[in-house]
Amino acid sequence: MDQDLKMGPHDVGGEFSDPIDTSDGGMTHWEKFSNGVRIAVSARKVITLDELRLSAESFGDEYFKMPYFERNGLALVHRCLERKLFTEEELKLARAQAEKEFEVPLIDLPNPESITHLHDGEEHHHHDNDFQEDEAGEGPPSYYFDMLAVAKLLVDRDLITMQNVLQKIEQFDNVFPTRGIAVVAKAWTDSEFREYLIRDAKNAIIDMGLKLESFAEIICMPQSDQTHHMVVCTLCSCYPRSLLGMPPSWYKSRSYRSRVVHEPRKVLAEFGTNIPDDVEVRVHDSNADMRYLILPQRPKGTEDWTEANLANIISRDHLVGVRIPENVI
Amino acid sequence: MSYSPELEPTPQFAATDQVQVIARHSEGHCRTPGYIRGKVGIVERYCGNFKNPEQLAVAHPAPEIIPLYRCRFLQKEVWPDYKGTETDTLEIEIYEHWLDPV
Repeated sequence: MDQDLKMGPHDVGGEFSDPIDTSDGGMTHWEKFSNGVRIAVSARKVITLDELRLSAESFGDEYFKMPYFERNGLALVHRCLERKLFTEEELKLARAQAEKEFEVPLIDLPNPESITHLHDGEEHHHHDNDFQEDEAGEGPPSYYFDMLAVAKLLVDRDLITMQNVLQKIEQFDNVFPTRGIAVVAKAWTDSEFREYLIRDAKNAIIDMGLKLESFAEIICMPQSDQTHHMVVCTLCSCYPRSLLGMPPSWYKSRSYRSRVVHEPRKVLAEFGTNIPDDVEVRVHDSNADMRYLILPQRPKGTEDWTEANLANIISRDHLVGVRIPENVI
Repeated sequence: MSYSPELEPTPQFAATDQVQVIARHSEGHCRTPGYIRGKVGIVERYCGNFKNPEQLAVAHPAPEIIPLYRCRFLQKEVWPDYKGTETDTLEIEIYEHWLDPV
């Protein structure tokens, strides 16, 4: 590729990169909160998603040095300052206050009763399991306090509510990840629905009774004996979140974003998926306003299974196209 | 072609039309990755009209409304040294102001 046309550090499609770590690290409490604030801000249209993307892209060489949630969290902080939603001084004070209210010992978990912070403008006592240590066992990372401060400042200005943030965390944890699986299980057992889903995915899903919060359109791509579909977003991490939840770590990684577009078969092999040469591999770069749901083929041996049983063998990886559900024989 | 913030534009391309992604440079935020600029493919479908993300990114008060297409490319066209099979393809969304007719 002509390196001159590369837009910036985030524009990685076509680069050579490391093998993909196909495990998913999941998310810490701090990351969930940070993500919840960011999604609430864009859902309430305080700041557009494209402004947040530009803000992250402007980190230059720092872009890939920061972990995903820190990068996106700090991008929100910078954009709020640029838009003058609050001042540097106000941020500094709110951050200091957040740190003061959150005195987590470095090693031991806090006594939940001793900790209060603001939920919807009211002091809130924490309960068991409200907190968890991050993987290093060191309590919250520094940017978490920026995110607590930003949330407080935006709530004070009536731009978001703490309820908006908590609802997003709840939806990402418990609601969104089950939806895409339910859609596919229904498509496997109801051929009329399957056709509707392929023709007009968004309305087919809405007619199932699922409320899609996302602005984006949804396109369903059915796997077949002729074509194998898979999805990537080379520019950031566009993903059908309201159907699948948060993208796994590997989907957001530099390796996956760089390599899928130019060596999809090699990437698939790293997930244990080998596609025969007479099957076309079709990569979808989910780079703009569409979101993609891959509809796997129903495995052989499940002909008399119920929708509920089928749902048990469908995984997120099948719906992104990096794996194929195995035949049950 | 010029676009406006109010009018829903009529799409200039339809499915199967041959198109070339414009190989120009861009400043700021843009949704056309570098690797696809200059490449020739076909329109797979017209996706509807959307606000220009390049203007949304700078909080433009009246962003233009632009047709968006899904375009299909042969991998061999995108990557001359592509190692997969001849028929492998790549599909990507391109806004109309980034497309030329071929």
